[in-house]
Formats: sequence, structure tokens, C-alpha cells
Amino acid sequence: MDLSIYGLTEIILSLKATNLANFFAMLVAFSFVIVTFLTKNYKLKKSFYALFLLLTASLFLIVYANDYLLFFIGWEIMSITTYFLLSFTLSKKTLHKYIIFAMASALSMFIAILILYSSNHSFLYADAHQSFKALGDIEEFIFIVLMLFTIFIKIGTIGFHYWLVDAYEESQNLFTPFFSAVLSKMGIYALIILLTQVVDITYPLAIIGVITSIIATFKAIQEDSIKRLLAYSSIAQLGYIVTVLGVYDGMGGALYHSLIHTVVKLLLFINIAGIIFVTGRSKFSELGGLLYKTPQSFVLLLIGIITLAGMPPLGGFSSKFMIYTSLMDAKYLLILSAIMFSSASAFLYIYKLIYGIYLGHPTNKKLESVKEVPISFLIPQYILAIVLIALGMFPALVVPYFNAILNELNLKTIEFSNYATLTTSFAEFNGLVIISAFGTIFVVLLLVFVNLKTKVKDVKNRFDVAYCGEEPDEATHLHYGYSMGKELQRVGFINTILKNSVKYFYDYIAKQTLNFSDILKKIYSGQLNINFNIAIIFAIILLWWSTK
Amino acid sequence: MTEGFLQEQRTLEGDLNSENSHQNSVDFLMNWFRKRSIFVLAYGTGCGAIEMPPTFTSRYDAERLGIRGAATPRQADVIIVSGYCSYKTLRRIIRTYEQMSNPKYVLALGSCTVNGGMYWDSYNTIKKLEDYMPVDMYVNGCMPRPESILEGFIQLQKDIGNGKASSWQKYEENYEFYRKNQEAVLGEKVAPSYEADWYLYDGGL
Amino acid sequence: MIILDLLLMFLVAYLTGFLYYGLYRNITARFQRRYGPPVYQSFVDSIKFFTKEDAISHGWMFYLGPIIMMSGAVMTLFFIPLFNIGESFRGLSEYGNLFVVLYLLVLGPLGNALGVGAGGNPFGVMGVTRGLTRLFAMEMPFYIAVIAIMSLSQSADIATIASHQETYNAFAYPLLFIGALFSFIGMMGQSPFDVIGAPVEVYSGPASEFSGKFLALLMSQSAIFTFAKLVLMVHLFLGGADGFLELLTKTFILFLFVIAFGSMYGRFKTPQSVDFLLKVPSTIAVVGLILATWS
Repeated sequence: MDLSIYGLTEIILSLKATNLANFFAMLVAFSFVIVTFLTKNYKLKKSFYALFLLLTASLFLIVYANDYLLFFIGWEIMSITTYFLLSFTLSKKTLHKYIIFAMASALSMFIAILILYSSNHSFLYADAHQSFKALGDIEEFIFIVLMLFTIFIKIGTIGFHYWLVDAYEESQNLFTPFFSAVLSKMGIYALIILLTQVVDITYPLAIIGVITSIIATFKAIQEDSIKRLLAYSSIAQLGYIVTVLGVYDGMGGALYHSLIHTVVKLLLFINIAGIIFVTGRSKFSELGGLLYKTPQSFVLLLIGIITLAGMPPLGGFSSKFMIYTSLMDAKYLLILSAIMFSSASAFLYIYKLIYGIYLGHPTNKKLESVKEVPISFLIPQYILAIVLIALGMFPALVVPYFNAILNELNLKTIEFSNYATLTTSFAEFNGLVIISAFGTIFVVLLLVFVNLKTKVKDVKNRFDVAYCGEEPDEATHLHYGYSMGKELQRVGFINTILKNSVKYFYDYIAKQTLNFSDILKKIYSGQLNINFNIAIIFAIILLWWSTK
Repeated sequence: MTEGFLQEQRTLEGDLNSENSHQNSVDFLMNWFRKRSIFVLAYGTGCGAIEMPPTFTSRYDAERLGIRGAATPRQADVIIVSGYCSYKTLRRIIRTYEQMSNPKYVLALGSCTVNGGMYWDSYNTIKKLEDYMPVDMYVNGCMPRPESILEGFIQLQKDIGNGKASSWQKYEENYEFYRKNQEAVLGEKVAPSYEADWYLYDGGL
Repeated sequence: MIILDLLLMFLVAYLTGFLYYGLYRNITARFQRRYGPPVYQSFVDSIKFFTKEDAISHGWMFYLGPIIMMSGAVMTLFFIPLFNIGESFRGLSEYGNLFVVLYLLVLGPLGNALGVGAGGNPFGVMGVTRGLTRLFAMEMPFYIAVIAIMSLSQSADIATIASHQETYNAFAYPLLFIGALFSFIGMMGQSPFDVIGAPVEVYSGPASEFSGKFLALLMSQSAIFTFAKLVLMVHLFLGGADGFLELLTKTFILFLFVIAFGSMYGRFKTPQSVDFLLKVPSTIAVVGLILATWS
């Protein structure tokens, strides 16, 4: 559909449904439908629904825009509606942090777009590459820096993530799945547009992605609040996508990981929302032992966690596999080692997530009377779990779709032989064989095991553990593992990562800004006579200069 | 009950040359496996704990017989009550014994477990272990040397192989008797309430 | 046919794994100037646990934990071909590759961690936490070496990597081999990196609540997993094998080296081992990677 606005003959605004745009729009629509299942459980004002619909509309505008001006309009509407949606529950401090970063990102994007416009007088994507090449060296550099500044703030790269963790933690449990799964994808979309339409940045982007994922993973392990842990995990996963976009042939892996990340984050955050709804607590040190009271939530979280870790039977391995083989093909071996290191470190916070909530012992009496979460939390999780299992069984299910996108972008397509085998240029694997082998072995072992002679007795009381001859009771600190990860602070190398924080840097900037505005206040002090004098002096200077 | 020297004495001697009792082949095979691999709980309850490290380490190597240490009662077959049992220790020993899984055996060292030994008139120790826990094999001495302990193990292995070491069944069948004795010295809360579920009710999976 | 192939692989791994464990106890005993148990002792231990009359459980997740662990170990075994020529004992290796195997190495311990957590013994969770902390540091030099080898052989298929070595990778790229050996010692559960299951440190860690047939399953999976890891190392660094004799010889030499190393050293604490593994072997492996792939 083409829209044209007359009157400004140089600017053409248009929308275009490319395959890439369709893919991201589908992610937005899917997440929207999934999140609306939850609205039954929360009392929401009517303005919430209106803002939410406006937000989704702005996301569609971002995705379907064919030129930078409409893209920017959509971006601004998204930032502002998110601000209002967050203002329902966020504290003032976090809200200020969010809006400052959002406005900074929007402003820098606007300046970058105007730089691009100035060289070729067109906002369209199709002209963007020539516009970029016609720029001088300094302007090229400024353009890249400003666009990356925008994108990194949105994605939450380490250094610019100062707003993200607090915003995820304090936002409504209903809104956080959408926030985490979809809004970060807009940053990914912006990055893809930048890389495919304008300029290709390879190695520095990969390094930034790797540093992000390693630091974010270690910070995630330390957290006690569930939503903060998932926020850092989100940053780390997006770091993978940024890394693989730094490889020339990595688009397939980036698209696949975007899909998997959206589905997994929705699943995890909805699961957490259900638990917080039922127990009213959101820290690991106050939860525990909910396994047999909410067994369905446990199994669904388990599926989410196996995917997040990237383990073979389920869909997470397919996307990680594509990322690894792309990096291997491009011979970025050290980057690949660092990514695998970050992926292995992720096992710690993944286990902490499931242990702190479901396993172990309940930490207070009220948790013993918890019932299963309402069905409206479980239905979206089942849908998402089925998607993940399907992607694990048939990893090449989405490959024809991705090939359409890659064809359009003139990049190398992924080979496709059948739905069960995912083939890349380096290696291949068959997902159906893996999952059916695992299922068969599991069932055979279970049958053999159950029929053995030994009688298995179930202990009636959770306190009956082997505790060196002592008898633990209510007061004993049995839910030991909720603070796992703190012992990493004793390792020197990791402690230096964890000790530093961007907080000091931003506090320093804030203080300098306040100092500068103090100085300005002496000039613009609010007294009418001084302002009048300044205006007259200014007018004299301008008149004198214009006559030169 | 009369305790210490006042009770009638019986000799309980093992005989290394006793013949095998009649068992069918499945039981024989199972007992052969059980006697060849013995996991001893690493829990030194009394003064005999000083004799256990030499038995299990290089000089008097008990690992040749298939005996090794286990860390938790869940993994162990044999618990060694190595000496006197004060009431405080008795409570933990009984709790640990009940956490072990069947078949389990008890090896009692020293004369304190037989008739009170050196502490025969103490206010704080028990005089006859057999009243509180069933015992499979006593090893005399104060404390027995590692060679005696090894001979006790060999005799225990022979008894396991014959199917004669069945103290765990005796504990299950006479649970009320043992529990009454335990409560008499330890007070009513001898074990947490969930412990008795094992022996009074059948907890199935 | 493939079912027979898989069953035979399972049997070979089971018997060889337990035999190696019996030999391990015997050889360690000789280091300590005593005679050890007979060589078949590990078999007898595991079968004795199967003959226990009862076992306790803490619910269905605790029950399924060891089974998941065993499935993970068996899956890892099936995706590693035993020989690098011939059609027999291939398992399922043509449907997977080295990346799949690297991730399957972690699947079993994660299932065990779930079972241990459901059991609720804080000592078990302590052991699991230490294990996970040690895991990411231990895998780092191993991953670097594996990535280097995959890049040099231009393939992720294990049989291809094994058969393309004219001189063994261990001698052609010695720095990579040394880096990977440090990780391998940890993966075998030997000192100085074996703090997670130590009986005196942490009440035997993850195995603390398992009794009876669960413990037998844990011991069996340990045997199978050990064999699978040994075969993987032989394929990656020692050129694979063409027949049973060669495979058993190479795996036994590697195993002997690992247990000799383990019987000499004491244990590191967990932060110490993480610190060491992230500094020394990783640097060695990175230097080896750069030297090997620079051209």
C-alpha cells in the first residue's frame, strides 16, 4: 500500500510489506494474542487497553515502513505509549530513567536520519545505500555512531542497559512479557535495516555482542529478584543476536534466534506472572517448594528453560546451532569460544530460576497452601510450549520462510532438504531423530526401572532428609540454594566484572549536567530585566552578523 | 529391666567354619552380591572411631574384602556402633539407622555395647545395645584392634551369605518393643513423628 | 540393523566402563601401597544396590531424575561412533554432530540437578551448585580446543575428524591437547577438580539422597558416561580407532594418565578451580588456537 503526502514534494512516505517486515509483524501479532489471554486476571483501567492497542499499532508502523521518516514516527509513538503504559506501576525514578534514555535514543536517531537525508534528499530505504556512500568520512562515522546508539539503548547492550533492568522489574506482570519479547525486537529490526540497507559493520558489532552476553550472564546469576534475573537474561540473549549479525552470513541465525527468543521470553515471563499472581511474592528467597503444588507450571517452565539453555531435544538448540555454524564459517573462532562460554555460564542462572521457585523447600507457611495457577495463565504457555517442541522436532520447519526473506535481501539462502534436518554449510543435524531417540530411551529405561524388585517408598514429610542424624524442622534453613551464584564473587576475574557498574558513570553525567545548568541559571535566572537585556544583546549580535 | 552385670550372660560366638544353610539359588545369588560389597557408614560414634581409619586405609586394607566407606545413611549397608552410647548419641544413631535402606546390618564394637563395659554405672549411657537396636555381630575388646574388626567383618560376611544376618527384619517385626525402650530413656519425642510412619504404616509411591 | 547396533554399543560401554572403574580402584590402591578390591568389584557394587529391598523417593521428579541422567548418558554414547571406519558401531552419529554431543554432555547432569533439587537435601543442592559453577569454567578450554579442531578439519562430524588426522592431533597441536586435558581431568571427576561429589566435603553432594536402585542407576550412568567421554577424546586427539583392540588400548592409556594425575593431587576449592581453569588452561588453549589457525 502506497501512501503519498502532497505539499512537500521532496518527501515520500510509503509502506511496504516485505518478507522481513511480515516476519516481524507476525511476531508482534502472535505476542499480542498470547498476552491478551492474561488480561482476565488483572484489573486494568480502560486507558491501559487503549494505550496497548496504540502501542501495537505503532509497532506495525515501524515494521511496515519503507522509509526512515515513518520508521521514526512509529518509534516515537512506541516510546511515548510505553512511557504511559509503564507509568501505571513504575516508581518515579525508574520512569525518569526510562524516558531520558528513550528520548536520547529517539533524538539520536532523528539526527542520524537527517544526516542521511542531507546527502540525497530522500528518506526511502532504497536510496539509503547511495546516500550513505555519498557522505564524507566524518558524517559516515557520526551516522553509524548515532544509529548504533539508538539501537543499543533499545536492545539493552551493556553500558546502555541502565534503564532496562529496573523497568522490567517494576512493570506490570502482564506487560513485561510483551515488553521483553517484542519491543526489543524492534531494536533488532532497526539493526537489520541498518545492516542490509545502509552499511555492513562486522567485527566490532560481534565484539560488542559477545561482551554484552558475557557480562549480562554473570550479572544475571547474582540476582535475587526473579524479574531482574530474566531481564539480564534477555540482554544476554539479544547479545547473541547482535553477535551473529556481525557476521556477513549470519542473518539466518539472527532470524531464528529472534523467533526462539520471543517465544521463550513470553513463556518464561507468563509463567512468572502466574506464580507471582498465586503467591504474591517475587523473590527467590521468599519462594520455594512449589513443585508438587503447581506441577503444570513446573513442566512448562522446564520446557522454557531447556530451550533457553539451548539443549538438543527442543528448539533452542536449532537457533544456537545456526549461530555457531555461521561464526565457524566466518572463522571468528575466538568470538565463537566466548559465545560458547557465555552459553555455558547461562546454566547457572537457568538452574537458579527453576530451583528458587519450584524445587527445594517452601520458605514460609503461606506457601504450603498454594494452588495451581488459573487456567488463563496456562493456555498461552501450552501454546508456546507446543511451538518450541515442534521447532525441536522439525527444526527446518521455518527454513523455507527464512529463505524467502534471505532471497529478498540478496543474501545466501539456507539449504533445505526435509523438515526434520537443519542443514547449514558447515554441518547438519536431524531434530526428529534426536527427540525420538531421547523419548525412546527414556521410556525403555523407565519401564525397566519400574519393574525392578526394589520397593520405592515415598517419604510422607519433606523434612525427612539425610541431615547427619539431626532432625530439621521449620526453623532450619533448608531452602539453601536460592542464593547460589553469590560464591562467584570470590573468583577474582569475575568479581571485577561484577563490581563495576554503569551507575557511577551515569551519576557522574547527571551531576555534571546539574552543575552546568547551575551555571546557566546565573544567566537565565528568571528575572525579567536580565532576560530582557540578554534578548536585546542577542538581537544586536544577530543583526550585526547578518549584515556582514 | 536389669542391666549390666546383673543380667544373665550368654555367649554369642560366631563360628567361621559353620556350614551354609539351605537357601534357594536366587537368594543365594543375592546374598553373595550383598556380602561381596559392603558400604560402611562413615560415622564414628564412640571411642572405637579411632580404630576405623587404620582398618580402612593402607595398612589393614579393608577394601580387599569389598568394604568401603559411604557418606550418607541412604547409601550405607552397615552401621558400626563403635563403643559407648550416651543418650545424646543414641538418639542420632537411631535416627540414622532408621534412615538406612533395607537390608542393613549393625556391627557393635567393644564391651560397652554388650553390658555397659567401662561405664557400667554411668547415669548417661546405655548398658545393653540389644534393647534399643538389633545387632548382627559383636566384636569384643576395649577397643578391638583392626585385625579383630576385620575378623568381625569376615564373620558378618559369612552370616550374610548364609542368610542368617536378619536384624533388620527383627527390627520391623518387634518395632513396638524397641520403640518402648527408646522412649523410656529418650523421652517421648525419640524421633520425629514422620519417622514412625515407616514402620507403623506402609508408605507407597 | 540399527537396534542391534545400539544395544551392542550399550553393552560394550557398560562392561568396559565398569571394568575401568574396577581397574581404577585397583590401580589407585597400588599407588597407595596396598592391594585393592578385585577387578569386578564395581559390577558387584551396582548389582548389590539393585538387590536392596527398598528405596526412598521424594515424589515423581526425584524418581525421574536418575532416569533422565541415564538417558542423557546413553544418548551421548549413541551419538559418538566407536570406530572411524566401517559400518558397525556407528550408532546415531550420522544424524548428529559434535555440537550436538557437546550439548548432550550437559543434559544428564541437568536432569540429575532437577532430581536432587526435588529431593530437598541442602547438601545435594550444595553439590549441584558447585558442579554448575565448575562446569562453565571447565568447559572453556575444552570448547576452545574443540573449536580449533573443528575449524582445522573443516567438519563437525566426529568420524571425519578422527580419520583425517595423519599425525595425531595431540602431537600436531600439543598446546590444544594440554588445555583440553585439564578440562578432561575435571570431566572424569578426578582431583584436583573433584570437589562436587566429595564424601567428606559436601556429604557426597548430589548423591546424598539416592538409595537402592537409584544409586545403582547413578553408578551405571557414571560408567557409561566415562566410556563415552574417553572415546570422544580419543577421536578428537588420538586419531580414533579401527578396531576394538586399538580403541581399548588408547582409552586405557588416557584413563591411566587421568587417574594417575588424580591420585597425586589434592582438591581445589570451587572458586580456586574456577580461577585456575579460567586462567591457565584457557590461555594455553587460546595460544594453541591462534598458533594453529593463524595461517
